[in-house]
Amino acid sequence: MDSIPSDAARDGSICDEAIVLSVTCALAKDALSYFQSGKFHECIDILIQLNHKKRNDPKVLHNMAIAEYFKNACSNSKKLLEDLNTVKKQSEELAKEPLEAVNPGSNVSVSKDLFDSTVTTLNIAVTWFHLHQYAKCLSILDPLFLNIEPLDETIALQICFLMLDSALACHDAVKFLEVFGHLDKSFGVGFGTHEEIGSTMQLSSNQVSKTSSLLSSSAASDALKSDLAAAESGLCEEGLEYDNVLAEIEAEKRMKPVGHIPANNLLKTIGERSILTVDVKLELQLYKVRFLLLTRNVKLAKREVKHAMNIAQKRDSSMALLLKSQLEYAHGNHRKAIKLLLVSGIQKELRTSGIFNNNLGCIYYQLGKYQAASVLFSNALRNCSSLRKDNPVKLFSLSQDKSLLITYNCGVLYLACGKPLLAAQCFQKASLVFCRQPLLWLRIAECCILALQKGLLEGGNTSSDRSEIRVHVIGKGKWRQLMMEENGFVELGGSAQWPKLSLPLARVCLSNSMYLLNVSLMNDSKSDLESPLSVMINDTKEASWSDHGDANTNSELKEAKGGMNQDIIQNSLSAYKDIRRRENHLLKQALLANMAYVELELENPIKALSAANSLLQLPDSSKIYVFLGHIYAAEALCLLNRPGEAGAHLSAYLLGQEDFKLPFAQEDFDPWRMNMSSDCEETSDCSTGNARDSLKPEEARGALFANLAALFATQGHYDQAKPFIQHALTVLPNNVQATITAVYIDLMVGRSQDAVARLKQCTRVSFVPGRLEVRAS
Amino acid sequence: MTIMKMEETAVVWTLLQSDLRPIQDVLSEFNSKFTRSRYFPVCSSLSILLQARALVPLPLPSSVLDFVTDPMILRSTDRLIAFAIMHQCYSSHKPSLNPFISEMINAACNEQAEKYERAFLLHLFQWNSYNNAKEILKLSAADYIKTFDPSTNEFPELGELQREYGNKADGPSSHMFADYALKKLLHDPDVPRGCDPNSPEFDVQVQPGGISKIGSGDRNEAVSGILGSLTMGGLAPRWIRPCPPRYPVHQSELLWIDPDNKHELVWDDKMCADTSRGATVRDLLIKGLKVTLSPTEQEDITTALANDPKLVYHCGITPRKLPQLVEHNPQIAVEILTKLINSPEIVDYFTALVSMEMSLHSMEVVNRLTTAVELPKEFIRMFITNCISSCENAKQQDKYMQNRLVRLVCVFLQSLIRNNIIDVKDLFIEVQAFCIDFSRVREAAGLFRLLKTLE
Repeated sequence: MDSIPSDAARDGSICDEAIVLSVTCALAKDALSYFQSGKFHECIDILIQLNHKKRNDPKVLHNMAIAEYFKNACSNSKKLLEDLNTVKKQSEELAKEPLEAVNPGSNVSVSKDLFDSTVTTLNIAVTWFHLHQYAKCLSILDPLFLNIEPLDETIALQICFLMLDSALACHDAVKFLEVFGHLDKSFGVGFGTHEEIGSTMQLSSNQVSKTSSLLSSSAASDALKSDLAAAESGLCEEGLEYDNVLAEIEAEKRMKPVGHIPANNLLKTIGERSILTVDVKLELQLYKVRFLLLTRNVKLAKREVKHAMNIAQKRDSSMALLLKSQLEYAHGNHRKAIKLLLVSGIQKELRTSGIFNNNLGCIYYQLGKYQAASVLFSNALRNCSSLRKDNPVKLFSLSQDKSLLITYNCGVLYLACGKPLLAAQCFQKASLVFCRQPLLWLRIAECCILALQKGLLEGGNTSSDRSEIRVHVIGKGKWRQLMMEENGFVELGGSAQWPKLSLPLARVCLSNSMYLLNVSLMNDSKSDLESPLSVMINDTKEASWSDHGDANTNSELKEAKGGMNQDIIQNSLSAYKDIRRRENHLLKQALLANMAYVELELENPIKALSAANSLLQLPDSSKIYVFLGHIYAAEALCLLNRPGEAGAHLSAYLLGQEDFKLPFAQEDFDPWRMNMSSDCEETSDCSTGNARDSLKPEEARGALFANLAALFATQGHYDQAKPFIQHALTVLPNNVQATITAVYIDLMVGRSQDAVARLKQCTRVSFVPGRLEVRAS
Repeated sequence: MTIMKMEETAVVWTLLQSDLRPIQDVLSEFNSKFTRSRYFPVCSSLSILLQARALVPLPLPSSVLDFVTDPMILRSTDRLIAFAIMHQCYSSHKPSLNPFISEMINAACNEQAEKYERAFLLHLFQWNSYNNAKEILKLSAADYIKTFDPSTNEFPELGELQREYGNKADGPSSHMFADYALKKLLHDPDVPRGCDPNSPEFDVQVQPGGISKIGSGDRNEAVSGILGSLTMGGLAPRWIRPCPPRYPVHQSELLWIDPDNKHELVWDDKMCADTSRGATVRDLLIKGLKVTLSPTEQEDITTALANDPKLVYHCGITPRKLPQLVEHNPQIAVEILTKLINSPEIVDYFTALVSMEMSLHSMEVVNRLTTAVELPKEFIRMFITNCISSCENAKQQDKYMQNRLVRLVCVFLQSLIRNNIIDVKDLFIEVQAFCIDFSRVREAAGLFRLLKTLE
């Protein structure tokens, strides 16, 4: 706090002059010192005295709210928010009064100062941040950021860092750049020029070798070495390997009090990093790397993280190492990522051990080792909950409680393992943080669909569940009223209990997801109209100068050049926007396909048809989704008694008279495959990861055969149907639907012997005493 | 889900077998045991049972005429009772609303069927002369068959009956798969065709502990088995509905966590603190709006501003007051504007500067600003345009003042050009015209020459 002493000195001199003020001034100082030493009871006593002397001074009330919050062990965030909001409103009203009363010329600035609510606003934002409401936090800080120049440097820095963390949490690259650009202008790291990078690369490689020599010479080096060995060897055998890592970590813990680990000098406690003591330059460099990681500019991130290591050389490099590990993770070099994660040393800190376990879990997930990942995630959750029990609770530890994020990871993992009920529980918990993210809702819908496939849904959807519009009958007799309810964004969760998994729930989730996706697409296109960089630099200046003619871009650009390399940032950002656009496009296709599927399952062919048609109308869709669109549309049309149109959808894939081409190729599943890595051993691992339960091109072709056969059969063209069903059964010999269609055709042409023979051939038919049954797929 | 519950199956089966009770009694017992909502499922089962003799199952609406060689599962008395139940369940409606009417019509016109059965049905329909349904229902099924006179009956054509009672409704199914559904009861092809299940050959009592003879079986078991296992709907061609693949998990979806910075709540240390931050500076500046400040006073302001970089935002100089300050204390004005250059409000200050009356001091301020900070191009252009028009407007007042102003502007412009602050090309025509207008002034001529060298 470099500004505090000078502040205090000035305060002192003025207190002497104004004796009236001196008493309150002294009291205020006492209150501060009690606050800083954690004596909240005494602090509040003094604040109460102050409040008597200065009735309803918003600043006194503000500090009182903060002190009360700490006194109650940070337990009541809701009350804190209420109090702070009251204070804020009050100071804003007070600030208005003198402006109206006094001639705007004399003493405006004084009164502005007195009722300035910046600190209050910042604290509101901090509280929301700790409640994981990052978007809210950003929107609260925005007005402060717009007028950040006049603010004191410490406050301004706090605002900016909070915004950077929130923007990262929201994946909001544009907002991040806006804030980062400002900080960069004021504290300048810049995106280094090339020569600079060259030199840093050299330096950092020196540094790395230094680190490694430190490691090898240390007493604990053996433990670390075997860690690394374990990490590497473990790539083959999941269970064994994981035990090794755990054992090594344990061993290291035991050694900690005895052996002094030299590496620890480098890896100081990043849990305790505080803005006021932190080296802004290093911090900015680290943020820059995080931005590049967010925008998936792995190449540039690699350079910049080296630069960060360089800056951190004599200081705390654990964060830089952690980012390096993330970088390797993003790159698919999973072994290297594990190595760096271990070297970063965050597992040794109680505060960060949860983070360590989570990140290691992510790596193991990518390696397709779900068992190990699940153990790691649950360890991470345990770490977090022990953090919560910390006494006295520090607000900081609340924000370090990442359990909701880890819970989301668990959800992804359980879904991949085919445990839809557990996965849904995780996603529903995580919805506290992610409820505005379309993907979350899709995942919950996927849980419903997976549960349906596994027969885990509780049977009997009542007709009121199926219908989309519900009419509530309210009141009795002549007072009876009908209330219509339509589908919009349906608030689920929150305090209310989540409904059980079901197809109607899937439908609601899908429509929520679509709604959120459309909202975000709309916002994106809005922000695309104005280049984010011009917004960030010129902002208000340009707005008012534009009345006077063309913009003053030249000089502005010159100004900006000093700070950072615009091209790199701009490229990185636009590349990221492209990625996001592609992902959103794929997400939209997935949503429509799932919608069509769910509507078919709910026996609502009209809705299914419209979803399938919208899917088919999307430009540049994945071939997989185009195929699904055709198949779903065709089935819906059959259910609507429009066989002709249904046939047209299927025959799009016809090759000649009696053959189908593959509707898509295996390559079309590329987005499904995990991140590529240079390691061939790992890639083979990964490819089995996600694609294993998805549709194969050959199966899709089989489905086309079988469905066209079914279509012919319903129209009585058994001769035409026969060769198609024959093809279908060669491709999908054990498919239940195809078998049934084949049996049907046999029976219709009077060949019941064949039909029964066919049933006997199919391995999925079981002859049950007293009952003939076909096992559900 | 099967159509009927186990206990219902048992009841129905007993009813069907009551061939010695008057049919009426059987019907009223049926009524007492089943509610209206169960009629449809029960009748559906019966209708399947009635057809359950074929080795080849019967396509739903088409004819049942073709397959006659195989014996019915139901005995003739059972069949009569079954038809009676099916008819009675829907007797309160018009016959055409009976969902099973077409099956009953088909049966009535089936030439291969027993005549007593066809007559029985016609009585139920009360077709033409068949009008003593009431009497018949008083008989037991067995008695009816016994007393039936096979010679006296005439039977209608299928078409006639269909016209009379024809069923135009499509039945409960609504789409093509269901419409083309088959009855799904299938004769086991391992039982040889044409073998007579009623032949005593098969019905040898199985010795306790002995192995039962192949082919032995129990009709009761088969019928109640069928009744118990029947499900709604028929066998239809099935559509393969592939499940959409799960949306790919990108590695960025799994949340990699970095520790955040420490975002603590902030104590407001301005509480009860000095509200007169920079009061001295503020007072001095208020004075500076009226008179030129002494060098020491100016010094005080400069040091205070330098010590506290944010003080400039609190010193009370608003855009409205700027022109006064410029007139009396241009150096201080430059100092303040330089410090405000990053403020979002700087635009308002520039606007104030452009719109104030031209003077030596305003030009001095702008000139010094251009060397200290980067000014928006547009602002400089506007300012120059203003300068030039002020010179022209000064004509009406005082020739001397005008000349003075022109010389100032020329010097100002020359300085801007020499320092590369402005690009002459942007303003060339304007400035050239200005020089020609005031060519009588020496400085203007000099500026003109400078322009020419740059051309």
